[in-house]
Amino acid sequence: MAGLWRYILRRLLFVIPVFLAVTLLTFLITNAAGDPVQIVKFAIRRITPAQVAALEAYYHTNEPIFARYFYWLFSFLQGDLGTSLRGGLVASKILPWIGTTLELQFLALAFSLAIGIPLGVYSALKQYSKADVVISSIAIFGYSMPTFWLGIQAIIVFSLYLKWLPFGGAISPYPPYWGGSIYTDIIGHLILPVGVLTFVSLATFTRLLRASIVEVLRQDFILAARASGLRERVVVYKHALKNAISPIVTITGLSIGLSLAGAPITETVFSWPGLGYAYVQAVNALDLPVVQDLTAIITIVVLLVTILTDISYAYLDPRVRLE
Amino acid sequence: MGEEILRVENLKTYFFTEAGVVKAVDGVSFSVYEGEPLGIVGETGSGKTVTSLSIMRIVPPPGKIISGRIIYRGEDLLEKSEDEMRKIRGKKIAIVFQDPNSSLDPLFTVESQLNEVIMAHLKVTKQEARNRALELLKMVRIPDPEARLKAYPHELSGGMRQRVAIARALANEPDILIADEPTTNLDVTIQAQIIELLKELQSKLKMTLIMITHDMGLVAETTKRVVVLYAGSVAEIAPTNEIFKSMRHPYTAALLKAVPRIDRRKELKPIPGSIPNLIDPPSGCRFHPRCPYVIQRCIEEVPELEFTDQRAVACHRWKELSLKGE
Repeated sequence: MAGLWRYILRRLLFVIPVFLAVTLLTFLITNAAGDPVQIVKFAIRRITPAQVAALEAYYHTNEPIFARYFYWLFSFLQGDLGTSLRGGLVASKILPWIGTTLELQFLALAFSLAIGIPLGVYSALKQYSKADVVISSIAIFGYSMPTFWLGIQAIIVFSLYLKWLPFGGAISPYPPYWGGSIYTDIIGHLILPVGVLTFVSLATFTRLLRASIVEVLRQDFILAARASGLRERVVVYKHALKNAISPIVTITGLSIGLSLAGAPITETVFSWPGLGYAYVQAVNALDLPVVQDLTAIITIVVLLVTILTDISYAYLDPRVRLE
Repeated sequence: MGEEILRVENLKTYFFTEAGVVKAVDGVSFSVYEGEPLGIVGETGSGKTVTSLSIMRIVPPPGKIISGRIIYRGEDLLEKSEDEMRKIRGKKIAIVFQDPNSSLDPLFTVESQLNEVIMAHLKVTKQEARNRALELLKMVRIPDPEARLKAYPHELSGGMRQRVAIARALANEPDILIADEPTTNLDVTIQAQIIELLKELQSKLKMTLIMITHDMGLVAETTKRVVVLYAGSVAEIAPTNEIFKSMRHPYTAALLKAVPRIDRRKELKPIPGSIPNLIDPPSGCRFHPRCPYVIQRCIEEVPELEFTDQRAVACHRWKELSLKGE
């Protein structure tokens, strides 16, 4: 157990340089567009010199860029995310974005796993059968299609042409609600974006698991399990699946980490008011504090989830020693 | 010799690969008698392992049993349903694989792997299964068995792993134990221990042992009768003590010449050529391209397996040849 804590501590220490590098780089790149005061001056023509002076003091624009990075860093570490250039505190805006994004991402991930794992197992067991060819073709189709194209096609077919589902957004702003009530309306808005995201990531899970199981099924211990008179169900779901699952755990871990970044394209196509959509809008509006804070938060989450993923290996595979 | 317990009749197991149909086992026939240690010997690719997987009906795809009969105690195993067959595997016929490093599941403890095999065939509680597992580890002479039950395979040495694999195969006291090159992947010193253990268990449990190997020394040490396979068919069957003195098939003779012997300082003679391509095997006798006694008839006509007293041989010229192994 002591080894595990030492491992976690060491991994956490590695988070620090990566975090500093990513945030510094982001800071330098975004500020290349101009400093915040210039951007505000460009947007608001009738700004008074007193206001400009106050902004310059707030953003320390008279100081070198590296010093400004450290001002940002210290406020961020103290939990002060600053003010959006479009008005309002960044912290109070981010929380609802995270909520809507997670709603979408976790549903999509849950569906991808729930559908992808059985499909992967099935197509591995029936390798080269018609069913396998159909599953693999659909999976590769989903994997190859650009998300924005797929999303737009889905909107055209299901919203515009068939008029089955709402166009975009997370909820209708006023009645009539889809399906009659506000709750069915929320579900109705989720169907298309969750569907598209699931379809796209399903392929990764299915193909990866199929390859992994096919590989494991060639191992002697599978033959030995069959030779011992174990039921085929036990051979496949206990022995083969447990041995084949680690790539899926990696991808799931990565997906959870990245899911917080939102799916910028999917969210934009469906006008889904999540982190990804907000990110794209902030970039377009040159809202530097928002871009900087979002990047920093996503970086931390991705790094932490990666550590959690690695720790989970130790529970799945007794051969892995975390030291 | 006991009753006939297993008879393999004209077994054909082919692999349908993209390169073509590999006739890995092509008309193999032999009998196994109750309680006897039988050897099946041959080079890599002679069909030894595929024969044993066919007996268990666990040939992995793209392999398929094409024809033949496998009669176990009067019943054809190839006619059984998958469910009936499952009750025979591990209960009546069990197998120990070549490589103990890969034949145990790395993610489960010794106890869990033994328990599942015991509980697949017997209605017992977990505690009873655990007691049986402990008994099995003692039987295969694993020191400190209680602690080993909780071990994962990677925490055991190669020899210990093979003992666990043997314990698993013996969990339900099978009639027949197939040992498929059980020592090939072990250190020499450990090999001797595992062979001792198998010999001892075979006589103690009065088990029928099918020892699959390419090692003629091991055949001499552990078996009473031996089936020599070449390129997917039977070359010769004979009592072990006779085959070293008077082999009837030129392949057997060549095989014996390739075995090092400490009492005779003779140079080893490798068999010229290599095992034939089983997608497009040689015509007639499959050994003819490598046989020093080849005649026209060998190229044209497949030799039948001829039975005489205790022995059998598939060679057109066996009566006229007098072969020596050394």
